[in-house]
Amino acid sequence: MSILEGRFEPGVVTTSIDLVFNWARRNSPWPVTFGLACCAIEMMATGAARFDMDRFGAGVFRPSPRQSDVMIVAGTVTEKMAPRIKTLYEQMADPKWVIAMGACAISGGPFYWDAYHVVKGVDRIVPVDVYVPGCPPRPEALLFGVLKLQEKIAQESIAKRKLPAVTVPESIPTGAPA
Amino acid sequence: MIAYIGDVWAGFLTVLHAMRVTLRHLFTPAVTVQYPTVRRTLPLRSLNRHVLTVDLATGKLKCTACDACAKVCPTRCITIIGAGKGKERHPVEFVIDHNLCMYCNLCVEACPFDAITMWTGNFEIGAFNRMGLVFDQTALSADRFYPTPDTPALVPAAATRAEAAAATAADK
Repeated sequence: MSILEGRFEPGVVTTSIDLVFNWARRNSPWPVTFGLACCAIEMMATGAARFDMDRFGAGVFRPSPRQSDVMIVAGTVTEKMAPRIKTLYEQMADPKWVIAMGACAISGGPFYWDAYHVVKGVDRIVPVDVYVPGCPPRPEALLFGVLKLQEKIAQESIAKRKLPAVTVPESIPTGAPA
Repeated sequence: MIAYIGDVWAGFLTVLHAMRVTLRHLFTPAVTVQYPTVRRTLPLRSLNRHVLTVDLATGKLKCTACDACAKVCPTRCITIIGAGKGKERHPVEFVIDHNLCMYCNLCVEACPFDAITMWTGNFEIGAFNRMGLVFDQTALSADRFYPTPDTPALVPAAATRAEAAAATAADK
């Protein structure tokens, strides 16, 4: 990801630096001000006083992708919006993470089967770190997703590492007519 | 001159008025729900992750694999494979794909045996990959003694769990 990443062998120094880096990154995942559909309303509610994402350092919604770390894809990703989302993601500075919020962003949701205009999951255009299901997810569920993301960030390391083998399921049970 | 002093005095009073509002909000309790430690009570009919309900008399799933929920599901996220005939019919495999589910409650309304419910209060199902959101029969019926708003007294396990929660709350 960053310049330091993947250039040093794991050791005392790199793991100590990880501790500091991950602490800082974990506690300030600033999201992009970016909403696509009704899930964005729940995202706003999560940022407001009742649920207050700022308690986890994640409430500083930045108006520019250059200043943000997390993209919360909140809503239906239409074919027309997809190139813009990809641009936004590429404009974000490393390290960056993506939360797919709601059924539409995860897989297309209600538009999965019979719609021509919806991308069937935002993970087809950008890599997604945490999936938060719901239609839309309640604010606590998004907070749970943020906490999951913090867990994930805490486990990252700047040292060289072997990529884990990706296990592709043989078939995803979706209820498709056989 | 008099008018000028009056204006200054009025400005001073305005600041005091504003500070009164500020002070009042400083000492009222915050509206924030401290989510991971404190859970707010969910609305009575809030729709969350499905749970397959259990017949308390027999201890088995009420589901008869009639496929009514799978047929009515707008996103076709339910897959059922049943076995047996007549009264013996039961699901062998019951999979709900929460990547697709739009939480419309139609499966619950279609079910003739109340074998599935969404009033579970279980919304913490975020995952790191899409397969983590596909729940099979074990996962769906694992927490079958869930505390629902309308039937907490019926299920003994839920009552004991509520007592345990109350005891831990009292300890804190």
